[in-house]
Amino acid sequence: MITVTTKSVDDTKALGAEVAAFCRPRDVIVLAGDLGTGKTAFTQGLARGLGVDEPVTSPAFILVRTYVGRLPLTHIDVYRLDHIQELVDLGIAELVDEGGVTVVEWGDVVLPALPADFLEVHLEHGEATDDREVRIRALGSSWAPRMAALTRAVDRWTTGV
Amino acid sequence: MLILGIETATLQVGCALAGHEGVRASFHVAHGRRHVETLVPAIDFLCREAQVEIDEIGAVAVDIGPGLFTGLRVGVAAAKALAQALRVPAVGVSSLDLLAFPVRHSSRLIVCAIDARRSELYYAFYRHVPGGAQRLSPYRVGSPNELVSELVARGEDCLFVGDGALRYPQILADTQGAEFGGPSTAHPSATALVELAHPLALREEFVQPWELQPLYLRQSDAEINWERRTRADWAAAG
Repeated sequence: MITVTTKSVDDTKALGAEVAAFCRPRDVIVLAGDLGTGKTAFTQGLARGLGVDEPVTSPAFILVRTYVGRLPLTHIDVYRLDHIQELVDLGIAELVDEGGVTVVEWGDVVLPALPADFLEVHLEHGEATDDREVRIRALGSSWAPRMAALTRAVDRWTTGV
Repeated sequence: MLILGIETATLQVGCALAGHEGVRASFHVAHGRRHVETLVPAIDFLCREAQVEIDEIGAVAVDIGPGLFTGLRVGVAAAKALAQALRVPAVGVSSLDLLAFPVRHSSRLIVCAIDARRSELYYAFYRHVPGGAQRLSPYRVGSPNELVSELVARGEDCLFVGDGALRYPQILADTQGAEFGGPSTAHPSATALVELAHPLALREEFVQPWELQPLYLRQSDAEINWERRTRADWAAAG
């Protein structure tokens, strides 16, 4: 597990952009954390890192948005859903399989509908108002081999010693 | 009776027309992946080239899956709409049954497997019987390894068909005497659909258009545990 601290919204975006460099086709990134902890900001940074030119907005009301980039980005927000089946009915299995990177905001509450292989990014408030504690871990086998390099890449956000 | 068949359960989009003399016309695009854009113009093309007026169609057959969510919704919705507009009955046939149909004469255990994504397959087993193939198992969803375990327990020579079999050949080859149908057996076809639907239609084994339902094997009754959302909403309200 990687634990880092970002100091502002832009800093959270920069972290997202850094993670983008490690993404491959069919990756799934689960974003966990309460409202206002920066899940959408992280996704905006990730999108920038994936070469998406369009502005990325929260898909809370339309559930799914797809963007064109170096890798396509599928941005899903399950905040308005009440049943796991609703996510299955979005064709989540096919969206992931299309070859882009899939980001699922609040993904930690719908794990039964997601692939077993994903990167979890957990955001929560830190000490200062704009601080965010970010915990990143790999679940399943696909991200695990990339974690050492990712750890080095996000070194500048690592909190003290 | 003239039957229109609609096939959208996998990446392939197809439609076909059959009468008592057999298949009159068929159209397939294997990797369009644009089910919505392709299907209705394809039906229109098919009818024109076969010189069939749309109101001559006496029944609409559709592949009800299991398969691609997006594809099935397009196909089943189109079948419902057409059947209702033409005031004709509908016939639903499973994608796995359709995969078995062209290879029904094989003496092997026929294993039909459709790519269910998420590293899983939709699958069922069939055996040749006089006049066709008989399904030996329920429609299931599971990992390629789970499928192999079931097959090893059966201990029969297998013939694999379907795009699921093409996606996991190394894992599935781990079964007794495994043979693969190859790309020509990867997708259920609209011609198999109308051929299978014809006797069903003659026996009046119809459903009403509104009764057509896609066969989704992945059903979850689970509610999302939204403790965090409730907390957040209270915080926002407070």
